[in-house]
Amino acid sequence: MSGRWFFLVASLALALRPVPATAEELVTSLSSSEVLIESNFTGAQIVIFGQVDRDKQTVSRPGPYDLAVVLRGPDQIVTTRRKDRLLGLWVNREAETFYEVPSFYVMSSTRPPTEMGHRNMLEKYGIGINYLNLPISPQSEVQVSERDDFRDAFLRLRRKQGVYSEQAGKVDFLTESLFRTTISLPATTPVGVYSVDTFLLHEGAMLASQTKALTVAKTGFEQAAFDLAHQRPALYGILAVITAVFTGWLAGVIFRKD
Amino acid sequence: MQIYLPIAEISVNMFVIFGMGGAVGFLSGLFGIGGGFLLTPLLIFSGIPPAVAVATVTTQIVASSSSGVLAYWRRGAIDTKMATVLLIAGIVGSAIGAWLFKILQSLGQLDVVISLSYVTFLGAIGSLMLVESIGAIRRRRTGTGRVARLPGQHNWIHGLPFKMRFRQSKLYVSVIPILALGSGIGFLGTVLGIGGGFMMVPALIYLLRMPTSIVVGTSLMQILFTMAAATILHAMTTQTIDIVLALLLMVGGVIGAQFGARMGQKLRGDQLRLLLALLVLSVGVRFAVDLLVTPDEFFSIAVKGGAGT
Repeated sequence: MSGRWFFLVASLALALRPVPATAEELVTSLSSSEVLIESNFTGAQIVIFGQVDRDKQTVSRPGPYDLAVVLRGPDQIVTTRRKDRLLGLWVNREAETFYEVPSFYVMSSTRPPTEMGHRNMLEKYGIGINYLNLPISPQSEVQVSERDDFRDAFLRLRRKQGVYSEQAGKVDFLTESLFRTTISLPATTPVGVYSVDTFLLHEGAMLASQTKALTVAKTGFEQAAFDLAHQRPALYGILAVITAVFTGWLAGVIFRKD
Repeated sequence: MQIYLPIAEISVNMFVIFGMGGAVGFLSGLFGIGGGFLLTPLLIFSGIPPAVAVATVTTQIVASSSSGVLAYWRRGAIDTKMATVLLIAGIVGSAIGAWLFKILQSLGQLDVVISLSYVTFLGAIGSLMLVESIGAIRRRRTGTGRVARLPGQHNWIHGLPFKMRFRQSKLYVSVIPILALGSGIGFLGTVLGIGGGFMMVPALIYLLRMPTSIVVGTSLMQILFTMAAATILHAMTTQTIDIVLALLLMVGGVIGAQFGARMGQKLRGDQLRLLLALLVLSVGVRFAVDLLVTPDEFFSIAVKGGAGT
């Protein structure tokens, strides 16, 4: 990939742009605003880089800046179920449904979230897996005392699937103001429009933030097959049958004895 | 080599899937079965979402049974009338199956029903076959022949009303058991992603007393059409048939089946049945263990809406 060249050119462009005054300003850019899923898709890497702009008028601050980059996939409704014994068998019993949870979440930061600020601030911006807002239905039948079990299990399973992760200490400052981080998208990446939020923090205070969009989309045959399956389901089914019969017939012809 | 499955929305190793199709195809050629009851759990075990695995295996069975049907058709070893009656019943069974599949999927109880059904059917049929094949091997060893069935001997099935004549099978029987058989297997096939050949063949021989030479072709034809209907119904109701996954399985499966069929000609019938019984039983036991042993992880998650649905 020509990420390195792209990075150099883009950072030059960032450095040359006119700089305004007073408070810090945050400028970010993505190595690519679109990830296309093709048949050989095994994942992708997104480089997010940017610059903290400050000039002589900017308030001088002791100590370093903190940066948090949050990549969120499109929202999903996800049900978490718990197995319990019923007549000696382990079957799904209680369930909690979480609404508007990200299908994908990676938080990359200079330090672990707990060290960057207070819980209120982290929860407000959704910085860190443990500070994610996971709304449940008001009609939830799970006892209040057990809700945390479902929440923890949900986050644990999402981490295990590789769709939720945290990478503290993975935002590198290349110069005093220029930073970069790399986020990997696995092969199981859901499709949709993602948001990349970059937060500039200093001693627990939010100084600036910026949002960019990232599109993950199937392309070519993959998209066509998906569209056909959903928009013309009967035709898709008939085509699947024809393909299967043809394959069976072909095998019979190829392997026919004499 | 990784390949992206457009409906399952995950990347899988092409050769692993191809190999699974080939291995199950080999067993299916060896034993004369569809192999769906092996393939579906294998796919689920390797990380394919259960709904996609079940639906896609029905498509794979269409491919594997169609090459068999063509071979039997050329030899004229198919009772088309019997197959048609079984088929009409099979389509009704499939429709009910697809409808139930969707309800269970939304209730989150699909996995339990699939596991329980596997345990029940595989356990029962595996045990019956095991007993029968050990008996047959023992009789062969001691040299005592099976007691020949008297011509014209009838069982309770032959006392039922609405009789119909099947010339090719030389049968004059009630349509009730045929309809029940066809719809029952069509229903199970759609819910469990199995063709049901391992249930259909013994049922036609022992219950309907159909001549063995006609049974396999007729059963395969019924399976072909029922699974073709199941594929279309799955496509329309659950939209979980992954054509790329199906294609990999088909190509692996049809090649494996040819080698299996050649191997099968070298083994005795009772030995084959014993091996198949052990195979069927072990898959059943594997599912029973999952239901009975305390799981390591009590929780599971399923996406109900939004991205990726």
